[in-house]
Amino acid sequence: MADAEHHEEHHGGMGTYMAVFFGLCILTTFSFLTYFDFWRENISVEMSRLFMMAVSCTKAMLVIMFFMHLKWEASWKWVLTVPASIMSALLVFALVPDIYFRMDYASNERMKYAAERPAEVTEASDTHTDGADHGEGGH
Amino acid sequence: MSDHHTGFDYQPALPISNGKAFMWLFLSTEIMFFAALFGVYIVIRFGAIAWPSPHDVHLVEIWGAINTFVLICSSVTIVLALEASKTDDGKQAKGWMALTFVLGSIFLGIKAYEYKSKFSHGVYPQAPHSGIYEKADVRYAQAVRKRLEELTLEVTNPLNELKSKLDSGDVEEGNLEEFKAQIADLEPKQEVIAEIGMEVTEAEIELRNNPEGVARYDDEGNRIPTGREQLMILADKIYPRASLHEGHGGGHAEEAKPDQLQTVSLTLTASGSGHVTGLNDLYEWLKMPIMIPGGNMWASTYFLLTGFHAIHVIVGLIAFAALLGMNLGKVNSGVIENVGLYWHFVDLVWIFLFPMLYLF
Repeated sequence: MADAEHHEEHHGGMGTYMAVFFGLCILTTFSFLTYFDFWRENISVEMSRLFMMAVSCTKAMLVIMFFMHLKWEASWKWVLTVPASIMSALLVFALVPDIYFRMDYASNERMKYAAERPAEVTEASDTHTDGADHGEGGH
Repeated sequence: MSDHHTGFDYQPALPISNGKAFMWLFLSTEIMFFAALFGVYIVIRFGAIAWPSPHDVHLVEIWGAINTFVLICSSVTIVLALEASKTDDGKQAKGWMALTFVLGSIFLGIKAYEYKSKFSHGVYPQAPHSGIYEKADVRYAQAVRKRLEELTLEVTNPLNELKSKLDSGDVEEGNLEEFKAQIADLEPKQEVIAEIGMEVTEAEIELRNNPEGVARYDDEGNRIPTGREQLMILADKIYPRASLHEGHGGGHAEEAKPDQLQTVSLTLTASGSGHVTGLNDLYEWLKMPIMIPGGNMWASTYFLLTGFHAIHVIVGLIAFAALLGMNLGKVNSGVIENVGLYWHFVDLVWIFLFPMLYLF
């Protein structure tokens, strides 16, 4: 087995790790920017979420490539990571029909204890229904 | 059994050590495990009727950001421990390893502090501790009434007893001061209980008399809040949700604001992080049920995700503690590498947890 590790040449090093560390810190600051008022006022919620996920994926790639050394590993890395990633994605998609849409077809019994469905914002919203009675009973 | 074939040069299936191959196999199962948890969180959250904003449930972004920084630092220190070990500098490797252990402990300490701040506000993942109701309806009124009954036993009855003893002169001279002190302690509590009792009664009467919530007006032409609205106002006095009272932080709260809430002035005072102090905060003994739309599902997913992550952190800390007792020279660099891979994965999970839980 010792032979198997002979191919591992020295990689990484203090300089690389520090560069990755600062990269990760800067990226964390980026996603934290979304918390502040100026960001919220100018950028839509969807864009913010997309941005945060992009930042997280970049950070994850930095950790995987450099700290976990996958950048320098042989092709075996694909054998383990690709099937796991595909299975993970399938798992998430499989949840959508049952869980994501669960409230669209909820029974009256269930809706009794569920939160209110947000009131539609309409001009006539201050007549007698007023948000408080929305959602009771489901559909 | 003889397995000694000659003339064949066996190659390992993967060009890495068995330990590392095992660790990567384990990590690939972990990827699927956490992917399932993240997946469930995402589809539950975006399929939910309502979801609390981070401030509604007392999440403080800066703690999440600090924890992210702590884990990033620990990832660097563990990788430096590996580098030191590869150069057979066991002493330096041990130093980095000890630092990693400390950083992991800081992470857990911050997490524990955060959990405590949720628990102290009645935000628990499950009954009987959880006092979260999804909407201010008759069930919420019933829960408030139930808590009022408990408080009657704790406060009102003893107070009446003390008062009647005092009135009848059935108190020894030496105990008089103590008696009066007890009464002075209980009386303000009784006032709060009576006020909440009155409000919930009024709301229930309005609900009974006008169950459809038809708009009704008093003599001066002002609309009388419906029973549901009165309960919403009461719920807001007990546990004001930040998203209803602040300009931001609750920007994503997917819930309607009844205009009546604007009239809530009360004893509400602003405190740090945009939070507003409610009756449950003002009077710690009150412990009234709270109303957070989507709060139960939020608590379940938050504690499940962060709880599983914290368990992984604890396992990592145990591994570090075990390594600290070993020679961390070149001979054990393979072990450090494997534990390091695991720790980087723990960091990786937090990289996604932080924005999803604190910033989304």
